[in-house]
Parts: sequence; C-alpha cells; structure tokens
Amino acid sequence: MSEPAAFRDDLVRTIPSLRAFAISLAQNNDRADDLVQETLVKAWDKQSSFQLGTNLKAWLFTILRNEFYSQMRKRGREVQDSDGLLTASVAIHPGQQGSVDLKDFRKALETLPEDQREAIILIGASGFSYEEAAEICGCAVGTIKSRVSRARTRLQDILGIEGDGDFGPDAISAQVLGSTAA
Amino acid sequence: MTGMKPAAGRGSTSGGGGKPEGLGPTSEIGRKLKQYYDELVSDDVPDRIMELMRKLETSEKSEPETPKGGR
Repeated sequence: MSEPAAFRDDLVRTIPSLRAFAISLAQNNDRADDLVQETLVKAWDKQSSFQLGTNLKAWLFTILRNEFYSQMRKRGREVQDSDGLLTASVAIHPGQQGSVDLKDFRKALETLPEDQREAIILIGASGFSYEEAAEICGCAVGTIKSRVSRARTRLQDILGIEGDGDFGPDAISAQVLGSTAA
Repeated sequence: MTGMKPAAGRGSTSGGGGKPEGLGPTSEIGRKLKQYYDELVSDDVPDRIMELMRKLETSEKSEPETPKGGR
C-alpha cells in the first residue's frame, strides 16, 4: 500500500499544470477538462503501477498525451504532421514593436502542428528537460530538439519577431564573446 | 576517442545544461510561452474535476488492478 493520501495530494497539486498542458494540446477548454478527467481516472486506477519517487508530473503528462492522441485517432482525425503541413499564412502584425500581444501569440501557437506545439510547451513552459519531454512523447531527444526549434522559428515568423529570439544582454554578450564563426 | 571536439574554452554560446536555446527569459517567444502557460495554470480548476477527485477517493473500494498485461 503506497500512501494513497500522498498520491492523491500530489495528483491534485499537478492538476493545474496538467490542465494547462491539456488546453495547449486540445485548444479547447471543455475537451481539455475531459482529457484531464480521463487522465485522473486512469492515473488513479494505475496508481499501484506508479513508482513512488519517480516523476509523477511526467507520468501524468504521458497519460494525458496518449489519451489525447488516441481520441484524435478515434475521431478519425489525422494527426498533423509537421512536414506535410503547409505553412499557415497567418500573418500577425504585432501592434507594438517588440512586444507581442498574448492573443496574437495564442493564435500563432494554434497554427503549429501538435507535435511542435507540445514540444515547445513541454520545454518552454512546463519546465521539462529535453530528456523528460522525449520520454513523455515517446521519441528521441534529438526529435524534441528539432521540433522545439522548428516551432520557435515558426512562431517568430508568424509574429514577425526578428533574429533568433534572444534579445538583450545575453545575445549581445554572445556576439561580443565572438561567435565569429558563421 | 571519438571525433568529438571539446568546445575548447571557446565559450560555445549554448549556455550550460538543459536551458532551451532561444526560449529563455530574454527571448520574446520564451516569455510569451511562459505568460500563456502561467495564465492557464493559474485558472481555477473546474468543479467537475475536483468532484471527480472526491469521487475517486471515496470509491476507493479495493478494486484490484486488473492484470491486463498492458503492452
């Protein structure tokens, strides 16, 4: 018997970020909440197979993600394939130079294929490492890296952000410190 | 002994360990991503989800895990 109370508490603590991930994937709150519920039920049923001390959050994200894709398949929806996708012609012009409106950002995010969107969310927002994200998505670390980088490039294109994203001291000092190659 | 060159003191700009390039706090995309996500995280968890949790806890009848063999 692993402490069900502790498991329960950890589960509850993870719900907000699990839900955020679900919304980012499903792009729809109701569907996302359904996904979260399915995930919680599954996790609860399988709690004996969860190894205490391992990453509960990653485990839950994995379950949710699997659920999401299996639902998509059931609905007969093709999973978007980033390679086959035509580049969305959503040109969003940020109202103010240098600062992108959150609404525009959300719109831009929606245009990403799922695999890229989930990758950039897991890495850039959920706080997972590349290794963890690779495990969650069942793919190689290199695959995650390239999806993140494609997602980033695409978002920059859509949002009209110049350069490779790094403004400020870091980018400048990087220049100064001589990345003279290239 | 592989052909891997150590990034000799050249200060490769890829800041150490796991920091996703181009998604750090100095990048607009990185910041927006965080902002977008944090806003979602700070949403109230819908009642139906918390209700489900309560249901799960109370239906804690010792249903033994069905040995399905998974995959």
